[in-house]
Amino acid sequence: MSRKRSLLPDVYRHRKKVCLAPKNGTTLNVETSSSLWNQEPLENNVPNDTKATLLYLKNLFPVEKFEGRLPPIILKHQLYSILKNRTVVDKQLEDLRLSGEIRLFRLGGEMEEYCIVFTADYKSHVLKTTAEIAVHRGLINRFLTEIACGCPDVSVNKQTMINQYRYTDEEITQLVKASVLTVRDIGSWWVSIPDAGLFMKSFTRGRKAVLMMITKSKYKETLQNDLETRKLPKVAKLGMAYHIHDIIGADLVECISTSSGPLLRKSAC
Amino acid sequence: MSSLVGYLAYREQGIYPPSFLSRAETVKRAFSLGLSKYKDLEEVHRGGVTSLDIDPAEGRFLLSGSSSGEVVIHDLHNTTGSLKYTFKCVAHVKRPIGRGRQNVSTHAHSGSVETAQWYPLDTGMFLTSGMDSKLKIWDANALVPADSYEFDSSVYCHDMSPIATKHTLVACGIKGRIKLIDLRSGSASHTLQGHRKTVYTLKWSTREPYVLASGGADSRVLLWDIRSAKGSFMKLDQHNGASQSGNSEQTSTAHSGAVNGLCFTSDGLFLVTFGTDERLRLWNTSNGKNTMVNYGKINNENEKSVQVAISNSCDPTLVYVPEFADVAVYDMFSGERYHTLRGHYHQVTSCAIHPNTHDLYSGSLDRNILQWTADRDSVEEALYQHEHLGKDDGGEGKTVSRTSQVNADEWSSDEEELINVPLEQFL
Repeated sequence: MSRKRSLLPDVYRHRKKVCLAPKNGTTLNVETSSSLWNQEPLENNVPNDTKATLLYLKNLFPVEKFEGRLPPIILKHQLYSILKNRTVVDKQLEDLRLSGEIRLFRLGGEMEEYCIVFTADYKSHVLKTTAEIAVHRGLINRFLTEIACGCPDVSVNKQTMINQYRYTDEEITQLVKASVLTVRDIGSWWVSIPDAGLFMKSFTRGRKAVLMMITKSKYKETLQNDLETRKLPKVAKLGMAYHIHDIIGADLVECISTSSGPLLRKSAC
Repeated sequence: MSSLVGYLAYREQGIYPPSFLSRAETVKRAFSLGLSKYKDLEEVHRGGVTSLDIDPAEGRFLLSGSSSGEVVIHDLHNTTGSLKYTFKCVAHVKRPIGRGRQNVSTHAHSGSVETAQWYPLDTGMFLTSGMDSKLKIWDANALVPADSYEFDSSVYCHDMSPIATKHTLVACGIKGRIKLIDLRSGSASHTLQGHRKTVYTLKWSTREPYVLASGGADSRVLLWDIRSAKGSFMKLDQHNGASQSGNSEQTSTAHSGAVNGLCFTSDGLFLVTFGTDERLRLWNTSNGKNTMVNYGKINNENEKSVQVAISNSCDPTLVYVPEFADVAVYDMFSGERYHTLRGHYHQVTSCAIHPNTHDLYSGSLDRNILQWTADRDSVEEALYQHEHLGKDDGGEGKTVSRTSQVNADEWSSDEEELINVPLEQFL
């Protein structure tokens, strides 16, 4: 059975190194070796695997359906559905987060997962939403430069806000009112996305609808191609492709490759 | 050079050191595990198998404990030379179940046996502990306990250090604490306090003879140095101290659910823990930090402990994790899932790797112990077929015949044949 051979690591089975010619025509010589760390070639500014996947997933997000009231939000586990080695994904995400390119948020409610927004998108979104409400502009700008871009953490607590950044209680209340900070505990806050509720509503409805489609089928499995042709209800504005990546990455379904394409089967737990 | 013959040639010429060949073969075997077509273990268990241990001295005997309170020893050596073989049960400590009263042992545990382990130095002794709150030390030949200790609550796990030379302590995990029993003096030596709820799993370090790791229902994994009186010297934190919650006590534990399985690597540098929060975590034992390797979600609904196995001397170190009725094979350092071994019908409770043949033995609550081996095809099958299903290769069937008769030789013919040959032929 040839399946046995495909499991062996490359060192013990000589695989010819594949030279991929990318579709846009530039001659990049990418080696698919079994190295753990994806090293960027020094001369090009080629995005690494995780960043490329983030950009792809960002394109999947339908900004126009929300009339520009939301920035493109990507869920962290959607990356796992595309890139197989989760540890490398985590490591590269950490690097991107520390360099300030992306920002992680914790969406509350029933979702315990992290979601990712590019810092630039977040900034423009916050400026847009706070323009409509009566909060001091300077405060928002200060928040953006100090906390949103300066501090890469998901949550902040009172000590950091007051001692390190010198915000007064009044200012903190204003930020909470502007919904860039959400109360987490006494003395700690999550940094959040204004109007995130809109996203959550769409997302939970959509996820439930997709899972229901799979659960209702006879053996609790459907081909991915078949699922992509079906339509989601109107409330789920995020689109089928977005949700498929979400349910695969969150391990709610198992992705099994068959001769007619990938099959999604509801996982046991 | 990926073929075995190539490696042999290079080793002969001194181009590759001998370790290359052994490493390559080990890896090839570890990656091609599957259910053996010809070999299995005799089915003796009358309850789910809860614990497995292969003797560290010779790798010959497999000790298994079951939820019916019975202990069974199988002999893993096949000396008959035949391909199709059932590993025989050489010892069975029976408990009176139903009407069968023959060969019943009055010494058997009255509750489920949770852990069964060989004495690390030889196969003359083994230890079992279980839900009847007793730890029994058995003489393996007479199948009679040489000693027995009773605790005040069920013993979920016990362990003896495989490398200790200065002490002979058995650590037993009971509700809320760990008791250390000294085999030499025959009494309890001391108690380690630190866990708030039941201790589900315990392992001695394979590097330091005095270090013990324990995990329990309170989601913590604590590392103890038994020589110090103070308490645990390290507490493993899944976030490495980075969680900034208001009440930081809550999430700074090793897992977000009970800790079910613990295993040290053979060099003792890393520790793998498995919890009911469905996560597997890899820890660096020198500084207690979570290496943040992401294995994904692994279904774990077992409230009692499961035995996780780590391959030794395999290059991408593999960790074998029971995932309900399957055994999942992960790369320990990258978190990729290579393979799923399917064969059991119910929760797999224990995995044990044979140190020499790199076979995996898995025991489950469906009362079976399955052997997953790499010796499943081609060479052995061809030999078997040739020997037993017809010698049809014409003139000289002079290949290796395992059951050769002492009196037969290849040039002289039998008496009878000489007589029967007609005279004409000699003209």
